Amino acid sequence: MKFWIIRILSIVGAIGGCFAIQGIAHTQNDYTQRLIILAGLYVTLAVSLNLINGITGQFSIGHAAFYQVGAYLSGFLSVRFFQSAHLPPMVWLFCMMLAGAAAAAVAGLVVGLPSLRLKGDYLAIVTLGFGEIIRIQVQNTPALGGSYGLNVEPKIQSTAFVWLLAVLCVAVCRNLLKTAHGLPFLAVREDEVASSAMGVNVTRIKVSAFILGSAFAGAAGALLASYEGFITPATFAMDVSFIILTMVVLGGTGSITGSVISAMFLSYLPEYLRGLKDSGGGPLTLSGGTVIAWMVAVVTTVAVIRWIYSDGGRPRLQRFYGLIGAIVGGFVVQLAVGTGLNHINKLHDAKVEVGQLRMVIFAMTLIVLMLLRPQGVFAHHEFSWNWVSKLFKRGKGATA
Amino acid sequence: MSILELNKATIRFGGLVAVNEVSFSLNKGDLFGLIGPNGAGKTTCFNLITGVYKPTSGDIFFNGTAITGTPSNKIAKLGICRTFQNIRLFKALSVLENVVVGGFLRHETGLFSALTYLPGSIKETEKLRADAMELLKVVNLEQVAHVRSADLSYGMQRRLEIARAMATGPELLLLDEPAAGMNPLEKEELLKMVRKIRDEHGMTVLLIEHDMRFVMNLCERIVVLDHGEEIAQGPPSAIRNDPKVIAAYLGEAV
Ligand SMILES: Nc1ncnc2c1ncn2[C@@H]1O[C@H](COP(=O)(O)OP(=O)(O)OP(=O)(O)O)[C@@H](O)[C@H]1O
Ligand SMILES: [Mg+2]
Repeated sequence: MKFWIIRILSIVGAIGGCFAIQGIAHTQNDYTQRLIILAGLYVTLAVSLNLINGITGQFSIGHAAFYQVGAYLSGFLSVRFFQSAHLPPMVWLFCMMLAGAAAAAVAGLVVGLPSLRLKGDYLAIVTLGFGEIIRIQVQNTPALGGSYGLNVEPKIQSTAFVWLLAVLCVAVCRNLLKTAHGLPFLAVREDEVASSAMGVNVTRIKVSAFILGSAFAGAAGALLASYEGFITPATFAMDVSFIILTMVVLGGTGSITGSVISAMFLSYLPEYLRGLKDSGGGPLTLSGGTVIAWMVAVVTTVAVIRWIYSDGGRPRLQRFYGLIGAIVGGFVVQLAVGTGLNHINKLHDAKVEVGQLRMVIFAMTLIVLMLLRPQGVFAHHEFSWNWVSKLFKRGKGATA
Repeated sequence: MSILELNKATIRFGGLVAVNEVSFSLNKGDLFGLIGPNGAGKTTCFNLITGVYKPTSGDIFFNGTAITGTPSNKIAKLGICRTFQNIRLFKALSVLENVVVGGFLRHETGLFSALTYLPGSIKETEKLRADAMELLKVVNLEQVAHVRSADLSYGMQRRLEIARAMATGPELLLLDEPAAGMNPLEKEELLKMVRKIRDEHGMTVLLIEHDMRFVMNLCERIVVLDHGEEIAQGPPSAIRNDPKVIAAYLGEAV
């Protein structure tokens, strides 16, 4: 009984929370609203890819393909059947989510079954190829608008649905890991031979993860289509897959918490960069010299930090000061190199908008991460109240 | 009726005949040893029995039914489980979780119930964890139940492999060099443990081991392989004095 009360309360709480987000979003301008929606969609995408890559240990890099399948199927159905269906928009949107999820799940099965026998790089190549096939196929299908894109009528915008999907996706993955059913997924990640010797049907586990992960991406696609009212194949280009992958890797492959936080962070970061203004109110630009100086500074800082931490015998405090020193040193290097390089006219006059450096910054972030913390920010850890209280206690213990 | 029977099991890897027409059979409740010099084909025999490889020719019977070429996971469900010579634990998982994976093949609730966190799957999870805890007591690992399995000492990892295999509830347990890397004290404990597994848990045990003292003390019957061929079979006393075995282990005390 108590179980069901807690269960119902938490569901109601989650729904309430999502509508609260919608309420807040509605007080904001269109641009911010869009950011809130995209963040929710990326949380779903990252967490669902984390199920495949992080929890089950496969290496799929074509997640945008399933996102696209969901978006186009729901877009197509909306254009064709919304008028004749006579359903309230929200009900229709819900049906579209289901349809998108189902279509993407089927796509996941079709890609997954033959290719999940492949390992690592081979699976990566197949998923990447599949993503491109879908995108190019859509580009050449007039019924889907070809490369001009598809106008999705009606445009149904629901922040609450987007975040409900994200919460559902997190909850499903969390539940999986909380019950014994999650263990075979993790076991497959750790060792396939040992898993099957313990009676785990490895193919079945992988396909389940693939189908489930793809279904969530498909549902997210359906929401995107009806939110934007217009989708083109370029919306689902390869770099979207890479961004989702980056989110998973940055957060720590396997950690749901990590995926959620890095999805929000990385979907906000490019918008933040784009929004940076210079003193005159135009978009902030950097000179070529400054950009190069930043790269040099980051690389040297990372090298120094790695060197400091490579010697495990160093006392903690010393390592800490070393870390601070390396970061301060990085800024000094940046200033010095930047000032020097900017004396070269060509480098001084070549201006780049910070917003355009999005992919460069993603790449740099990943490189730095791989060098300093290859397991990702959160590694395998998950957020839990237990953990918070421990942290709190540890903090108190230190001051006492 | 024999619980396991190999009938002229053979496997070739290219030109190499790793196991050549090997036949032996185990009765229920046996403590059976499989020995031989390095590269004799012992581990390959285990791989044939557990479906990692399909024999090139010959048959394998378990409780009278042919299991030749059955996939690994089905073999485990039928009631044969093994440990690995080169330890293959689920490193990032805790000791307890490793054992739960072993017990998971007896699960009854579906994936949907787990994804929605229904009471059925929660109860089942609790039960599987409790069962796993019982098994950890058998191998003396209950103190470290929540430690990451990769952080265990070598001897403990070997014992954990045994517990994980036992969790699948096998009739026949295959142990691949369970005493490798253990000190004499640990070996002594392991000896008692394996006996207990047979006597109290009623499992038939087939084990590969290089430590002759260990095998001779523990096993009631032994089969000896050399270069993929079976060269002797019988009780330890007979094996110890078999000239072929002595020749195969030339220079080593048997
Ligand atoms: N997958 C394989 N492909 C090719 N050759 C193999 C394969 N597996 C085993 N072999 C070969 O088969 C032979 C027997 O190997 P096996 O591992 O069974 O020996 P073993 O008796 O377990 O030896 P050890 O005591 O060293 O563990 C070896 O020569 C090995 O190189
Ligand atoms: Mg071997």
